[in-house]
Amino acid sequence: MRLRVWVLIALLFVLHFMLHVGFGFADGAPDLLTVSLLLAAREIGFGRAAAVGLIFGLLEDALTVLAFGANSIAMTLTAIGGAFTRDLFVGDSRVFLVSYLVIGKWARDLVHWIAVGEGLRQPFVDQVLIQGAIGAGYAALVGIVLAGLTGLGREA
Amino acid sequence: MPTYGNEPETNGRQRDFVVAGIILVLALFTSYLSEASQQRVSAALQVSVLRPFIATQARLADSRLRATQIDSLTAELDALSAMMSTHAALVDENRTLRDLMDLGARAGTNYQPATVLRPGTAGSESMFLVDVGSDHGIQRGSPVVSPQGLVGVIREVRPGSSVGMDWSHPEFRASAMLADGTTYGMVENRRGRFREEDRLVLNGVAYNEPVGPGIVVVTSGLGDVFPRGIPIGRIDGLASTQGSWLKIYWLEPMVHPGSATHVLVLTSEVSPDVSDVWPSDSIRTGEEAARGGPGS
Repeated sequence: MRLRVWVLIALLFVLHFMLHVGFGFADGAPDLLTVSLLLAAREIGFGRAAAVGLIFGLLEDALTVLAFGANSIAMTLTAIGGAFTRDLFVGDSRVFLVSYLVIGKWARDLVHWIAVGEGLRQPFVDQVLIQGAIGAGYAALVGIVLAGLTGLGREA
Repeated sequence: MPTYGNEPETNGRQRDFVVAGIILVLALFTSYLSEASQQRVSAALQVSVLRPFIATQARLADSRLRATQIDSLTAELDALSAMMSTHAALVDENRTLRDLMDLGARAGTNYQPATVLRPGTAGSESMFLVDVGSDHGIQRGSPVVSPQGLVGVIREVRPGSSVGMDWSHPEFRASAMLADGTTYGMVENRRGRFREEDRLVLNGVAYNEPVGPGIVVVTSGLGDVFPRGIPIGRIDGLASTQGSWLKIYWLEPMVHPGSATHVLVLTSEVSPDVSDVWPSDSIRTGEEAARGGPGS
């Protein structure tokens, strides 16, 4: 199981950066880093999830110019939050998984919006409510498919 | 009654929490790194882990640029191809006109340059129009020549234009001789089963006259239709014999009528002997002229 998780993390990491950076799809591609982080966080525990979150955040921060650190904070907190849900919810239903992915992705965007700082952030309604909601739904859709393919999430 | 409390956390979970806490602090700390440190971290990640993805984007951008350039190059290639296709025709026309100018210089002033037009309608095979007529001194029976030799003869003359027939017409006849003047005969068209099989023959050659292949046949000047010395063709083998007194030879024509686009029409004042207009070293068929072969 653990091996499958790490393989999934590696695959989604490569795919995410290939789609976003390599092919330049930007918002057209789903946030696979967050999806993989959320799916893995419930499997690998707090410490490892936080480490993966920090690494993912740093990698995304490396491609930003002005808000270095915002992604690191957002991804680390998302990873810790995801791992924490394991203690709160033992869910294997599809509804739970969708809710988990939607809230997790939306929370990640909210934390990022806050961490970016007042001078750089976009309007809350646009960035968090509208784009955040759309991104959360997109991520949940992809996450459901991935969970169905890999079996992750259900067994947690 | 037993009391229930929180399950004691294992050492592993405690360590997990501690690690997560440290990492969270590190994550928060990244925001407070100096700008130089942030740039170093970014640069290090960009040239290591992120390098393949950035390189992929660079390659894609290059590919898109090349695709754009390929479209542009293809358009240029198409334009060049179109230009070259017309260029070949221009070169050929240019060569023909230069040859005509040379011929005109040799023929003197007793000729009219003309452009050949072919109606292309049913029944107009072997006929052509030229844009010179009686206004230019053209008469019925005026020879039509090209730099390679005889094309045909004018049959109808109008003020500004004339109608001629080329040697592929069934009624075409020309009194001819070998270029050295030793043997005489009559050049005429011999019909084949198909029009493409029509050929020129030199008819009426005395049976015992030695005629070898490749010898040039020119107009003889007899009958006052064509002046003496216009190349018609080359001997291309024995076609047939009639009894033991007559031979007929195939001729390879000097001029293929379809390729004659610019010609000279000789006027009535032309000398009865134009042998000097086609000196022996300039005689060549149209194909040889195009290849730059003998006589060039």
